[in-house]
Amino acid sequence: MQSAVMKRGDNPPRFYKAVITATYKENFAYRNQMAVSIFVQPIYFLVHYFIWQAIFQIRDQVSGFTFDQMLLYFAVSSIVEFLNWDSSGHMLQRLIQTGQFITFQLRPVSHLYFSFCQKIGHRILAFLIEILPVMCFYILFGIRFVPAKPFWAVITLFLSFILSFLIRYTIGIFAFWFVKTDGVSRAVLLFTNICSGAFLPLNLFPAGFQKFLFYLPFQFVSYVPVRVFIGHYELAGMTMSIPRIVFLQAAMVGAMFLVNRALWYLGIKRFTGVGA
Amino acid sequence: MTQLKPRTEFRKWRFSALGLYIQGVKTALASRMAYRGDFIMSMFIMMIVEFSGPVITYIIYNNGAAFPGWGQYEVLLLQGIFLMSRGISFPFFMGIVWNTIGRVQEGTFDLLLIKPRSILLMSIVTAFDSEDLGKLIGGILVFRTALRHLPPQPLSHWISFIILFLFSVILMFGFALFMAGLGIVWIGNYRIYEIFMSVMDFGMYPKSIFTKTFQSILTYIIPVSLLASYPASALLGNVDKNVLLALLSSIVFLLLGLCFYFKIVRNYTSAGG
Repeated sequence: MQSAVMKRGDNPPRFYKAVITATYKENFAYRNQMAVSIFVQPIYFLVHYFIWQAIFQIRDQVSGFTFDQMLLYFAVSSIVEFLNWDSSGHMLQRLIQTGQFITFQLRPVSHLYFSFCQKIGHRILAFLIEILPVMCFYILFGIRFVPAKPFWAVITLFLSFILSFLIRYTIGIFAFWFVKTDGVSRAVLLFTNICSGAFLPLNLFPAGFQKFLFYLPFQFVSYVPVRVFIGHYELAGMTMSIPRIVFLQAAMVGAMFLVNRALWYLGIKRFTGVGA
Repeated sequence: MTQLKPRTEFRKWRFSALGLYIQGVKTALASRMAYRGDFIMSMFIMMIVEFSGPVITYIIYNNGAAFPGWGQYEVLLLQGIFLMSRGISFPFFMGIVWNTIGRVQEGTFDLLLIKPRSILLMSIVTAFDSEDLGKLIGGILVFRTALRHLPPQPLSHWISFIILFLFSVILMFGFALFMAGLGIVWIGNYRIYEIFMSVMDFGMYPKSIFTKTFQSILTYIIPVSLLASYPASALLGNVDKNVLLALLSSIVFLLLGLCFYFKIVRNYTSAGG
């Protein structure tokens, strides 16, 4: 079946490019929804600004961060969050719950790569509609988006983009067992947000908890990219060179991919669907 | 005849606004119980999610930093009040927002409009969100923890707190009306919630950390300070005289919300099929 389709000229690169373009166009129709971020994100940032301004009135540094560094942390962290956002887990769960997943089983395409291309298409649009205007706001606020090591910053952002997708997609795979995974998704997303440093820099957490966080994949989603952007990595009292932490991030992406495929292999055996 | 009277009374009660609401709650719970494992987990997560604000406060104070003029447990008390206000509004009436957005998008909002009851009542009745009860439990836990670490407050403080807390819930209802109205105009946009949540974030921290201009906006224009900052100050006995203007502002906000909602409903022309 697969080879028959490939012979017709639908080679994978063309197919994936088509998915990216279609997702972009589809979401372009709902660009106003995306544009809500232009209003929402500056408000969240203002809240953080006031919180930290009040705190830094009585202290010069908090866990090694100055006021400007703290603002830069939150600004870069929010941009990373925008870049990484996707609903692949939720979409997969919906497909499994409604039974529509069966149509994907009949297609000569890996759902994982299909979903990843959808994320790329969606995020390209988000870059134009959400990220650029929000970055402009930050720049007006005096935040300088100049990475300390541009090459490593690009690599780490790319890896974090893949890792966040793999984490969310893996959560979606749990639908093969639970059917409805809203609860699990919320739990893991909350855990990811806390443990990735999206709420607060991880080195503000108690020392014991930092050691625990060091061994989880979540720091590589947000904390590591932001730290690489700033040019200095430190967690649980351990400092590491930028190339070394990016290498660890790449290893974590590989490990997460293997976990994802293993769970997929086990989960797909449980799927049954009627009609197509 | 005498036997029929209690039945008529029961029927009258059953079709009252409260009776309808209770029926809505029962239906929502029954349908959610179809996936009860997911329901319990979602409710638990809702509770845990509510701890994120207090956890940030704990970490800030644990690192030796502080909000000027506020002790750790005073801030936690404020956040507990904020979460309780959210914990009451989200399950019991804030659901009108997603209910309205979803129904307008699908076209089923029309079905509520042809019911022989107020559209606002019907939107609330069909929107009970049982998972959000976790928010209320989370709020109560934070509030209770903070109270344990603070000196006991006199009855007068408690009375002022309860009055201001009621206004906090009224303000939430005002927000819900504005968002539900927007949900009719802005079809299918669930991100309306995010706009509201971002503005609400100002209410989770002491009013004093903001600049004077922002304090004025948060007291008189969108009285977000009433959500927690004023009730907490009242309970701690530090409420300032601007509170009366904030109360007035919240009533105006609610009335504007009602006008906005019903005006939008009047102009509504079905979008679905």
